Amino acid sequence: MNERAGAAVLGRLGQDGPGAMRRPAVLLGVLVLAALVLLPLVMSSLFLVSVATGMLITALAAASLHLVIRTGHVSLGHAGFMGVGAYAATLTQTVLHWPVVVAALAGFVAPALLGLAVGPFVLRLTGKYFVLVTFLFGEIIRLGLVNWQSLTGGANGIFQIPAPPGFGSPVAFFFLVLGVVTLLLVGIGRILGSEIGRAMDSVRQSERLAQCSGMPVLKIKVAVFVLSCGLAGLAGVLQAWFVHFIDPGSFSTVQSLNLLVINVLGGLQSLTGTLIGTTFLAVLPELLRSYVELQHVIFGIVLITVMAVLPGGLAEAGARIRGLVARRLTR
Amino acid sequence: MQVTSWAVASALVVASAFTSVAARADEDLKLGVIAALSGGGTAWGLGLQRGVQIALDEVNASGGLKVGGKTYKLGLVAYDDQYNAAQAKTAVDRLVQQDGIKFIMGPIGSPGALSSLSVTQPAKVLQFVDGYAPGILKNDFNAAYIFRVDNSNLEFSERIVTWIKQAMPEVRKVGMIVPNDATGQAAVPTLTAAYKKQGLDVWVDFYERGNKEFTPVLLRMMAQNVDLFDLNSASPGDAGLMVKQVRQIGFKGKVLQAGGAGVDEIVAIAGPLANGFIKYDVVDEADARTKPLVDAYARKFSGPMNGMVPIYYNATQILLEAMRRADSLDTTKVRDEVEKLQGWNTQLYGPLRWGGQVSYGNNHQIMLPFYMKQVDGKSIRVLSTLQPVD
Amino acid sequence: MLTPLMLGQVVINGISLSAIYILVALGFTLLFGIMRVVNFAHGSFAMLGGYALFYFYGQWELPYLLAAPLAAASVAVASLVLERLVFRLFYQKMFQSMIALLGLDMAITFTALLVWNPYERSVPTPLDGVLSVSGLIIPEDKLVITGVAAVALLAFWLFTRFTRHGLALRAASQDLEIAQIQGVDTTRLYRLAFLIAIFMAALAGGFYAQTYSLSPTMGERPLLMAFIVVILGGMGSIPGVALGGLLLGFSESALSTFYGSAVSTFVSFGVVFLLLIFRPWGILGTPEHE
Repeated sequence: MNERAGAAVLGRLGQDGPGAMRRPAVLLGVLVLAALVLLPLVMSSLFLVSVATGMLITALAAASLHLVIRTGHVSLGHAGFMGVGAYAATLTQTVLHWPVVVAALAGFVAPALLGLAVGPFVLRLTGKYFVLVTFLFGEIIRLGLVNWQSLTGGANGIFQIPAPPGFGSPVAFFFLVLGVVTLLLVGIGRILGSEIGRAMDSVRQSERLAQCSGMPVLKIKVAVFVLSCGLAGLAGVLQAWFVHFIDPGSFSTVQSLNLLVINVLGGLQSLTGTLIGTTFLAVLPELLRSYVELQHVIFGIVLITVMAVLPGGLAEAGARIRGLVARRLTR
Repeated sequence: MQVTSWAVASALVVASAFTSVAARADEDLKLGVIAALSGGGTAWGLGLQRGVQIALDEVNASGGLKVGGKTYKLGLVAYDDQYNAAQAKTAVDRLVQQDGIKFIMGPIGSPGALSSLSVTQPAKVLQFVDGYAPGILKNDFNAAYIFRVDNSNLEFSERIVTWIKQAMPEVRKVGMIVPNDATGQAAVPTLTAAYKKQGLDVWVDFYERGNKEFTPVLLRMMAQNVDLFDLNSASPGDAGLMVKQVRQIGFKGKVLQAGGAGVDEIVAIAGPLANGFIKYDVVDEADARTKPLVDAYARKFSGPMNGMVPIYYNATQILLEAMRRADSLDTTKVRDEVEKLQGWNTQLYGPLRWGGQVSYGNNHQIMLPFYMKQVDGKSIRVLSTLQPVD
Repeated sequence: MLTPLMLGQVVINGISLSAIYILVALGFTLLFGIMRVVNFAHGSFAMLGGYALFYFYGQWELPYLLAAPLAAASVAVASLVLERLVFRLFYQKMFQSMIALLGLDMAITFTALLVWNPYERSVPTPLDGVLSVSGLIIPEDKLVITGVAAVALLAFWLFTRFTRHGLALRAASQDLEIAQIQGVDTTRLYRLAFLIAIFMAALAGGFYAQTYSLSPTMGERPLLMAFIVVILGGMGSIPGVALGGLLLGFSESALSTFYGSAVSTFVSFGVVFLLLIFRPWGILGTPEHE
C-alpha cells in the first residue's frame, strides 16, 4: 500500500515534462550565473565568496543525488561516495604526487567503480529498502575510512591539502569551482532533458511498463547511478581543495541527510528545484547563526512545515506563486 | 557676573571632563569563539565559551582592557562548528572576513583546528586551540599564529607512565579500550609507546562512539589478564560507564585514566564503584587559586564545570596580558608578547611554560602542570602533581 | 579463552543487550507496521522518557514501580499533541514522513539541549547490585530489563492476537482499505498505536538512561539499533523484533568478546546490508506485493 503512495509521489515528478520548465529555468540560470561572476568584483567581503564556493560544491553533490532520485531511488548514503572521491584524489595528490588533473580523475573514477560494484545489487531494491541499504552502505564506507588508518589517516583525516596550482587564492578558486560546477550542472540538465532523461522518467513512473516495452531497466539505473557516484566524487574533490582538510566525519550520514533534504525541499521534481533547495540550505544557517541551538530547532520545524504544506517542495511554491500571478494578470 | 561666569566655566569644565571619560571608555573589542555548540561535543564547546566569558567579564568589571591609550569593552562572538571541518571553515571565514575578528579561541578537536588553520594563518589571525592532532603545531606555517593551550597527550603521556611505574611497580600488563575517533586514534600510539618503553605489555581495543555497553569488550580485556585498565581518552560519560561496568564484571586490577578531564561526571555515573579510580586532571578544585573561578562559574552557569573552563579562562588571561604588554592590537606584536610571557605567573597554574620545540619545531605548546587524583570513598584526593615533559 | 564460564557470560551479556534493543524496537516497528511511518524521531522520544524518569524517580522520588510506567505514560500522553500536529499529516506517506520526522527529531533534541544542559546525567537505579551465580555475573538492573522486555513481548503478542483493538491493529497493518470498510475507525486506531509505541519508546529510554547515562543526544544510538533490529526481523513483525533483537544482541556480545568491537560493528552492518540486498523484508517479514 505504502509503495503505491510512494510511487504516486515519485510519479508526479517531472510531469510537466522537462521542456515546459526549460525556458524560464534557463533564463533564471543565466541571471544567477551572471550574478555569481560579478560577486567577487562587487562584494569586498571574501566571506560571501567563501559561502558561494561552498554552496556551489553542495549544489554539485545535490544534483548528482538528484540524478539517482529521478530514476526512482532515494539514496541516504550519497556523501559516502563524495568521501571516496575526496580521499582518492587527495591520496593521489599527496602520496603518489601525481598531477592535479589525474587526481581529479581518480576522484571521479574511484566512486564510480564502487557504484558499479554495488549498483547492480542495490538497485534491484524498491523504495524504503533502497533508502536503508544506502544508509548502511554510507556508514560502512565511513567505518572503512576510520579504521583503515594506514591509508586514510583514520579519524584524524588528512590536512594541508593543496588547491590546484594557480588557484590558491579564494577568488581564483571560486572561479574554478564556478566554471566546473556550471559545466557539470548544464550537463546534468541536458541529460535529464534528453532521451536518456525520458527513459529515466518512464523507469521511475512505472518500472513494469518500461520493462515490458523492452527497456533495459536495470542497465539504465546502474548507468545513471555510476555517473551520479562519479559526480559526487568530484564534489568531494572540490571540497578537499576548498577546506584543505578531509576526515571521515565530513562524509557521514549527516551530510548524506543534508543532500537528501536539499532535494526534498526542492521538490524532487526538477534540477531547478534542487538548486533552489541548495540555496535555502546554505543561506538559512547563516541567517540564524546567532541562535545557536534555536537554529536547529527552527530548521527542524521548517522541515516539517515544508513537508506538510508543500509536498512538492519549494519548487512547487514557485509554481503556485506563478500560477497565482498568472491568474491575476488574466483577470 | 564674574562669580556666575566662573561657576558656569567650572561647571562646563567638570561636565566635559565627565563626558570625555565616558566617551573614551567604551570601544568594543570582540574575541572570536569557534567550538561545537550543538550536537555531541557541546559540553566542551560550552566549557570553552564560558571560560572565555568569565575572564572577559572580570576585566570589564574592573574598567575594561587598556591598550594603546584606549579602553576597550570586551565581548565575544561565538560560532558553532558542529565538530565538522567544513562548518569550522565557514565559521572562521565569517569571523575573519566578515566580522574582522583578529583573535580566536578555539576550535577544539582536529577537524575544526586543522581546517581553520588554512584561513587564520595566512590572515595573521591569532588562534588558541585544543586538540590532540600534532598537525596543529607541526605544519607548513610552523604554527606562526597558533598556540595550543592545553596539554596534548604528547606532553603528559610519558610522565604519567613513569609515575605509574613508580607508584604501581606490580603492574605488568596494561589494557586500553579507546574510542575510535580523532582523539583516541591520536592518543593510542603515544601511550602504547610510552608503556612499552617502561617495559610494560600493552593490549588495545577500539570502540565506536555512541556505544555504551562495554561489557563484552571488557570481558575480552579481562581474559588478557591485565593488571591496569587505562581509559585513555574516553569522554567523561563513557569513562564513567566503563569504570562502573568493569567493576561490575569483577575486574580486580587498577583502573586509571591517562587523559580526559573532569572527575566529577565519572564519579556521578559510577557511584561507589569508582572507589580507587585514578585520573589525570588539569585543575584542583580544592586549590585556593582555582576557587574564585569555581565560584564565578557557579554564579553564572548551571551544570558542572568541565575541564575546558579553566583551560580557556587561563588562555584568555594570557592573551589579554600579552595585549597589555604589546600595548597594541596588532596580532604579530601580540603573538610575540605571548611567546615572551614565558615565566609569567598565571592565576590558575603558576608560572607559564611554553614548550614543544622537540616535538613540533616551535614553542607554542603550553606545558600545564597536572594532577593525578584518586577517588577515595566520597572524596577525591590529589596523589601527585606532575610536570609535563618537552 | 573459550571456557564454559566465558561462554556463559557471553550468553548473559547477549540476553541483556537483546532486551534493551527489543524494547526500543517494539514501538518503532508498530509505527511502521500500522501507519507506514518511519519514525526518525523515535530516539528522541526515548530520550524524553529518560528525562521523565529522571524527574519522577530521581528528583521527586516516587516509588520505582510507580515512577517508571508513570514517566513513560506521561511522555506518551504529552506526545499526543505531536501526533495531532505532525504525525497525522504523514500517515501512509513514507518519504514525506521520513524527512518530516527527521525535522521533528532535530526540533525535539535541540529543544532538549536548550531546556536541559548537554552534560550527561545519571538516573539512579533501584537495584544496584550484582548477582553472582556460579561464577556468572548478572547485574540486577539488566535482569529487570530482561524481565520487562519478555513481559512486553508477551503482552504485545497476546494483545494483537486476542483483543478487539489488537485484531483491529493487525487488520489495519495488513490492508488498510479493507479494514476501513470493515468499520475500523482509523483515527482512533492510529492514536492508540501511537500511544503504545511512544510509551514503549519512553519506557525503553528510561531503562537506557538508568543503565547507561542521560543526555539530550542520547537517542541516536537507540534509533540506530531499532533500525537494525527491525530490518533484521522484518518491518511490522512483532516476533521479528524478538528475533532481530536476540540476533543483534548475541552477535554483538559474542563478536565483541572474541574478536573486538570493530569486527562486531562491521559484521552487524555487513550482515544487515547483505540481508537487505537478498531478503529485504527481513527474516520474519513478508515480501511486499509490487
